[in-house]
Amino acid sequence: MTIVRRLVAVMLIITAATGLFAMGAEEMGYPDPEKTITIICPQAAGGSTDLIFRTLAEEMKNASGGQNFIVSNVTGAGTATGTNDVLNADADGYTLLAGGTHTIAATMQGLTDGYKNMDYVVGLNLDPFIIAVRNDKPWQTFEDLVEAAKAAPGEISFGNAGMGGATGVACVGINLAFDKVFNVTPFNGGADLIASVLGGHCDAGVFSQSEVVANIDSFRPLVILGDAHSTIEQLSDVPTLAEAGYPDIKVPGGSYRSIMVKSGTPAEVEQWIADVAEEAFNSETFQEFQAANGMIPQFSKLEEAKADHEEYIAQYEPILKEAGLYNM
Amino acid sequence: MDAFMQGLDMVLNMSTMLWCTFGSILGIILGALPGLTATMGIALVMPISFQLPAATGIGMLLAVYCGAVCGASIPAILLGIPGNPNAIATVEDGHLMTKKGLAGQALGGAVVASFIGGMGSLVCLIFFSPLIAKLTLAFGPAEKTTLALVGLVIIASVSGKNILKGLLMGAFGMALAFLGTDPFSGQLRIPFSSFFAHTPLSKGLDLTATLIGLYGVSQVFAEIVNLTKQQAAPVSTKIEKIFPPFKKVRQMWKIILSSLGIGTVIGAIPGTGASIAVFMARNAAQGICASSKGKLEQPGTGCLEGVFAPEVANNAVTGGALIPALALGIPGDAATAVLIGALMIKGVTPGFQLFQQNMPLVYGIFIAMFFANIMMAVYQLAGVRIYPKVLKISQKILLPVVLILSYIGSYAVAGQSISSGIYYMGIALVMGFVGYVLKKDGYPIAPIVLGLILGGMFEENFRRAVKLAGGSYFTFFTKPICWIFILIAVAVVVVPIVKNRKNGANA
Repeated sequence: MTIVRRLVAVMLIITAATGLFAMGAEEMGYPDPEKTITIICPQAAGGSTDLIFRTLAEEMKNASGGQNFIVSNVTGAGTATGTNDVLNADADGYTLLAGGTHTIAATMQGLTDGYKNMDYVVGLNLDPFIIAVRNDKPWQTFEDLVEAAKAAPGEISFGNAGMGGATGVACVGINLAFDKVFNVTPFNGGADLIASVLGGHCDAGVFSQSEVVANIDSFRPLVILGDAHSTIEQLSDVPTLAEAGYPDIKVPGGSYRSIMVKSGTPAEVEQWIADVAEEAFNSETFQEFQAANGMIPQFSKLEEAKADHEEYIAQYEPILKEAGLYNM
Repeated sequence: MDAFMQGLDMVLNMSTMLWCTFGSILGIILGALPGLTATMGIALVMPISFQLPAATGIGMLLAVYCGAVCGASIPAILLGIPGNPNAIATVEDGHLMTKKGLAGQALGGAVVASFIGGMGSLVCLIFFSPLIAKLTLAFGPAEKTTLALVGLVIIASVSGKNILKGLLMGAFGMALAFLGTDPFSGQLRIPFSSFFAHTPLSKGLDLTATLIGLYGVSQVFAEIVNLTKQQAAPVSTKIEKIFPPFKKVRQMWKIILSSLGIGTVIGAIPGTGASIAVFMARNAAQGICASSKGKLEQPGTGCLEGVFAPEVANNAVTGGALIPALALGIPGDAATAVLIGALMIKGVTPGFQLFQQNMPLVYGIFIAMFFANIMMAVYQLAGVRIYPKVLKISQKILLPVVLILSYIGSYAVAGQSISSGIYYMGIALVMGFVGYVLKKDGYPIAPIVLGLILGGMFEENFRRAVKLAGGSYFTFFTKPICWIFILIAVAVVVVPIVKNRKNGANA
């Protein structure tokens, strides 16, 4: 009996001691160097959101003096699954969301509480979209395409990588601007869309820049959505919407990426993440990565980031409502 | 030639070889564990590849990829549980061979088949890349719809003796495929949608978790019931002969060629994949064996032919999937999507430009793929004498281990999302019960899997094709490729019926 009692006593002491140590760690302040900061990327590994955050995470590790950052891909339900995982975690700054326009779209579609329960830490960059057709199609300019669609409404198919995603919103937005003369068709992701446009099954599509560059010999880029020319050499002469003759059309010009955290995260924690992210963003590696992939830097911090997001939210709302996707 | 030497230089060094070895062994282990897929393996080692030179990193990723596809056959053959979807068509004959005491030959045959498939598709990748890439572009939504139709018709041939039961299970699988979100609008279509909207079930049943349930968990339940009964004497497993006799392999040349072609082309068409290719290859093999005048045994009876056909096809998918990935920048499957990402983070954009500007790297990738296939074969063969020892373990120990591994597998599918992981374990458990009940009453499992995989593909592409055609259902009859597939589908249904009639008339 006594042995059992002694054992129990030892166990209790051990448990209490571990508890004390654990408490000690809590009080050491953020970030605990023993702990890993997880950036949840709600899109698939290898996609451009994933690549941005993997590059950034490496630089954040350096900028923070060795704090461990990892990117974890939690995909599904149009980015809602990963977003919900961040919302289900503690608001302690150890779980960050690779957020942005996809979070706005998923929230507005009622798939997650998303940005309603989140704080914006930093805004990063915009990956502008390009409308392109296969190069043996008759349309030389965006105007040609629009005129052809107006002449035969519903005949010209206009594809996107999925209705709820950023290309879908851009696609629907453009269609609305021209009184729905296009046959807007959603595909199952970017790869499916490229194959269908290259194969001649779909007439035109909204693409991200890297997708166009990879097939520059077969594609004819018509217009870049967004306010500036591309920084990628092969795409630098693609006109903007305004230059193509449509300065009044306002559609989300690309996918915007940012870091978000769950609301209720302490202000000093958010400040720390924002500072580290800023240093990582300004690192040579990350800047080179952005330039090589044609991403337009749009860095903003905390309050500025909030203002930038609200601008996107205002742009998205009417388009999603018109498209019948709004469910908030 | 200069570019080739440069490519060789990138790969022929100690570091590349060691990382490929590491990748290969890891791939085989991951492949052999239920639920851990090739995609997951690649995503797992991707951070390591960032630190390596491009060719070395890609070589390691390819080694994981090939290894995981091949490794999946080990549990399929020994336990009747596919390690991942690549081995779903290997289960039947592989496991029957084990029951006959031919586990060694089945395992060895699977490795040889995988090696042939991998190397064959690599040859296609090197020499016919531009051609096959163009061919895959001809596959639009309408063509994919009819391809899915052919797959669905194959249900009849994987149904076993009772076609009606098979069709019922196929329909059940298709119904399961429709759960989740509407592929067009993103709207929920699931019972109790207000509750399920915030669960991972909102995106439908996860294929891997469902597979683990239907095959793995249900198998454990069935064996547990057997435990209480009188134990049959364990099958003695002879493992002297690992390599299939060369003569046998030569006799199967038609099966090998057809499986190679099916695997490479299906692998190259985005949005399809190994799970369809293996069933189609097996179906084609049935036709070849039936007309071989008794030289070849009929798949489904526990013979090498039934292991060879799907195993050649699933490794042929690896080379096939790389074709559009390298030539067009379009991934052929989920695993190659991660590979493309790994290339892009190195600043290399796949596509025709890669072939024009960075031929040494392209050669480097080809050579790395070559070594990845060799290592896959060597390391998996090295263990062939060891794996069957699993069968000697007492069921009382083996079954809990298999059950635990099954749950770990379905949990891991969710990546690091804990809530999703728990749900996936739930899917595996429920599907385990479903599978157990169905198996007990003699309903075949394979049609459910086919229905589940093809149902979604069929629906999505059908709707897209009709939308692109401006609402016309005639679009399927305006394209030559569609016609070919429709005729194949009709033939698959009609030919056996006519034959049966004839046989009936003769008797």
